Amino acid sequence: MTLTSYKYADTIHRCFRCGYCKFPTNWADVNNCPAYARFRMETYSCGGRLWLIRAWLSNEIEWTDHLAKIMYTCTACKNCEEKCPLRFNVDIMNMITAVKGEMVERGLIPSQVKDFLENIQRQGNPYGKARAKRGEWTEGIEIPKYKGQDFLYYVGCVGSYDTRAQETARTLGKVLTKAGVSFGVLGGEENCDGNEVNALGEETLFEMMAEENVTQFKELGVQKIVTLSPHSYNTFKNDYPLHDGNFEVFHYTQALRDLIQGERLDVSRGLNTRVAYHDPCFLGRWNGEYDAPRMILNAIPGIELVELEKNRAGALCCGGGGGNFYTDFLGGSESSPARIRAREAYDTGANILAVACPNCMTMLEDAVKAEGLEDKIDVKDISEIVVEATGIA
Amino acid sequence: MDHVKEALAVIVGEEHVSTEPEELYIYSYDLGTTEPRRPDYAVAPRTTEEVRRIVELANQEKIPIVPLGGGLSLAGLAVPLQGGIALDLKRMDTIIEVSEKARYAVVECGVSQGQLTAYLEKNHPNLMHSEPGAPPQATIAGNVAIHGQGDLAQPYGFNSDMVNGLEVVLPTGEVCKFGSCAVGANWYTQHPLPDVGLFLGWAGTTGIITKVSLKLYPRKKIQGVGQFVVEDEELIPEIIYRITHTEAAHDVVAFSQAIPPFASGLHHITINLSADSEKELDFKMELIFDDTLGEYIRSGDGGFLGFNRGLQRPQISKTADWRKGGGFEYVGAIMPVETYPQCYRRGREISERHDIPYTVLGRVIGMSHAMMFSWTYAFNRADLETIRQAREALHETDDLALELGGTIWKPGIYGQKLVLERIDPNTLKLMKKVKQLLDPNGIMNPGNWEVS
Amino acid sequence: MDVVVCIKRVPDTADVVEIDASGNDIETDGLAFKINDWDEYALEAAVQLTEKQGGSIIAITVGPKEWDDVLRRALAIGADRAIRIDQDMVTADCYAVAKVLEALIRNLSYDLVLFGAQSEDFGSAQLGVMVAELLGIPHASLVVSLQVDQTTARIKRELEAGTLEAYAVELPALLTIQTGINQPRYISMAGIKRAMSKELQVISLSDLDLTQETLSPTVMLEKLELPPKDKKAELISGSPEESAEQLARILQNSGIF
Repeated sequence: MTLTSYKYADTIHRCFRCGYCKFPTNWADVNNCPAYARFRMETYSCGGRLWLIRAWLSNEIEWTDHLAKIMYTCTACKNCEEKCPLRFNVDIMNMITAVKGEMVERGLIPSQVKDFLENIQRQGNPYGKARAKRGEWTEGIEIPKYKGQDFLYYVGCVGSYDTRAQETARTLGKVLTKAGVSFGVLGGEENCDGNEVNALGEETLFEMMAEENVTQFKELGVQKIVTLSPHSYNTFKNDYPLHDGNFEVFHYTQALRDLIQGERLDVSRGLNTRVAYHDPCFLGRWNGEYDAPRMILNAIPGIELVELEKNRAGALCCGGGGGNFYTDFLGGSESSPARIRAREAYDTGANILAVACPNCMTMLEDAVKAEGLEDKIDVKDISEIVVEATGIA
Repeated sequence: MDHVKEALAVIVGEEHVSTEPEELYIYSYDLGTTEPRRPDYAVAPRTTEEVRRIVELANQEKIPIVPLGGGLSLAGLAVPLQGGIALDLKRMDTIIEVSEKARYAVVECGVSQGQLTAYLEKNHPNLMHSEPGAPPQATIAGNVAIHGQGDLAQPYGFNSDMVNGLEVVLPTGEVCKFGSCAVGANWYTQHPLPDVGLFLGWAGTTGIITKVSLKLYPRKKIQGVGQFVVEDEELIPEIIYRITHTEAAHDVVAFSQAIPPFASGLHHITINLSADSEKELDFKMELIFDDTLGEYIRSGDGGFLGFNRGLQRPQISKTADWRKGGGFEYVGAIMPVETYPQCYRRGREISERHDIPYTVLGRVIGMSHAMMFSWTYAFNRADLETIRQAREALHETDDLALELGGTIWKPGIYGQKLVLERIDPNTLKLMKKVKQLLDPNGIMNPGNWEVS
Repeated sequence: MDVVVCIKRVPDTADVVEIDASGNDIETDGLAFKINDWDEYALEAAVQLTEKQGGSIIAITVGPKEWDDVLRRALAIGADRAIRIDQDMVTADCYAVAKVLEALIRNLSYDLVLFGAQSEDFGSAQLGVMVAELLGIPHASLVVSLQVDQTTARIKRELEAGTLEAYAVELPALLTIQTGINQPRYISMAGIKRAMSKELQVISLSDLDLTQETLSPTVMLEKLELPPKDKKAELISGSPEESAEQLARILQNSGIF
């Protein structure tokens, strides 16, 4: 493909490579681009990526494995788009996704990305685990099947298959039940939301998945959705309307905030501990929701909420987005963004690092272990903190 | 894998060396109009010891080394003109020490401007450094090495005047210290020990700076910017002279630009003020805007546009977007302040002749001892013709700066030649001797400041 | 360079396999199916050949209607047309399948016939070799390297411990392809959709002048059993270096490495 048929051919040259994209909101360090933090070569920063895209599409450089890897180390955290001072910045994420799409079409993708996508095609989840097992996370608890209740509680692939995230999925179910919310889950009938597939550039596969989900939801009469994962939240809210799927979408922290403020969930039992909250990219930078999780934590008596030095729009991505929780391009080093984040959390003196996303959960918990900090700080989902504060068994 | 790459991988680890076309492509480029030149290796060391071993290897193998921090010289000073090793120093990003009492910070060469600013704001809120207008990715060491200037240039001078000491890896591999740190004391003063003039302003051709001790200055509780505007450029030198006489201001910058259109032809002067109390602020405001500039206001020659609290970091990157083009480059020259009017007029003429919206700026250095005058030319990276025009305009401007009695700051190859042509012949001979003494194999950023 | 590639549809090994009530088949309810792993390498090899040298690829399978999906995938990977012989023949008796395939292939024009070295389900590794013998053409199995010109295929076969055996095989020939010979490309959903317009022909046994009787099995599967579950735990002690050495030895001996 030559430059002229690339959707952003008109603007891809506008990156000045000035480097703002590497920084958090206060320039505390240059490690706020997770890929750049990991590799510290200019090619891995957003600016480097944009210049390489232009170079490839105008045939100044050829495709190589290395080029593909550089593209796919992008976790779609949106720090760059936020921090870029130039006007074309609104297109930055799309520019990178578009070039990934080009690589997907030509089959020029790293093998880990290929596995991810093929696993989704075959078994409906990136792990390649049996589709038949998708509903197994519901075993052992009372959790209603969706049959037209007020809310569809949508769990997603990580929550359905990852053992640690499954705990979170169950816990949230318990909390919603305790609060008397009318909801149900799809269990084994749930299908992947496709957010990562979209971020990986497999546009047609994503469209297919979105259309299937929209059809399924409509047939079931779904109107409101509450999601475990911000990834699902993001795509249901922002992408699905383009596929005729117009639902009222909530991330669970927004629902819990409303329940606590509406006194339908009693957290007065409290919890005495110091908590640092890690903003997930798809809730924070992508959708501007920084407050709901903090309101929940502040509403629980005994919790001392401390801020990580890089927080809100300046938060450091855990490195799990863009499929990286599976493809793991950013792992294997103390410079891995998750490990940097674990150290940052430890530096706050917090006992608990609170997360609101199953991807962040798996990435950060592994990182805490890799840093040898598992006795010093616990990684907990907000639903798990709430469950303790409400005294639900 | 070639044996040099293997040897580099042993020194810094495999992950921090690359010969992949992608890295080599990116490290070929300066962000301005300089033509790219490809390095053979991209290397990112973490410690002075690693740098030392790399330099030793380069001497053995006769491979050029091009050290870079942020790579934001915008003059092509980090473009590997003769290939070799592009040495990305940004992994060396530890802030080693900050002394409140002696007001200095010792940093590794990869520490960025933004990093130091954020660190001081959080841990030493009474201290600040002279922060240049470059993006926060620019490094302290890189900026000092090219005689940069920041927002404390008035009254405190060049950033290179603020150096208490250096640790340098010589082109032959020895590690040296300069300043009080060399005698085992703290890094609090450069003088009276033999000076570090061998490494500042030499564009990395005499060694690699691995640590810098930088003077810090008081940061007062209230910071803000007052704005003044005049129409007649001839008034600027006198205004600057008078403001600096008060000794009450910090950064004084006079600028004029075609965009936004209302600003075209006008000359804005920003005057940074700081104070620890409203009383102090009022006093300084009165001293400057009433006592000193009042007569211009009363005669209608000048207008006071107000005082805004808080120091805004300028985002000069935005200039890159002026031709929707992703690029700009500028000639910075150290000029006598009295040349402001001709700098403006002649510079504007060059811009307009090349179809580029004009942007000129003069930042006062010291007590009106000089100013850094910049002529900025934006270009569209996707349109080679605009790059050619910008390059032409830049060369003309290099000529202009010297014609007007100034001297070019951090010149690229073209400007270097102009300066070398004019330098005192004995000085030139000495420069050559110094270079040969320090770098017998000619490996340090060759192609720059080459004295034939 | 005209290439025939024979492919098989197998259960996805991510799924747990259970023996069904009859005791000699697996429970297929709820299983996901896919193209046999080895066959993907064979298809990729074929596509790389025709990309370089021109020519065409025909993908063939023997199976019921559900097996159209693996043919569609083969078409998306790069086969020009596909043929399904409509007969359910998942069986331990390779010879019967070989006879069916040979009956079709002998009437096609080809330089090369490619099979995967074995299938993921029965894993007998016999089918390709049998078809070659029936066709009366030379064959080589476990091919990990392939270069072809007008008359000859220069191949390398994988033996044990990384040893390779090199051959020159005269065309037309049949090769069974080992994994690792190439990196099968990713096939996007858009690519699969585009391939829907390519030709997929369905023929019956009678089109090949074959009947059920001619195919009566000579090998019969009597019973399927799951391997016994063995619980064994071994505690490794000693210094980190010693335990690491012990562990490495155990893993190596178990065949995991």
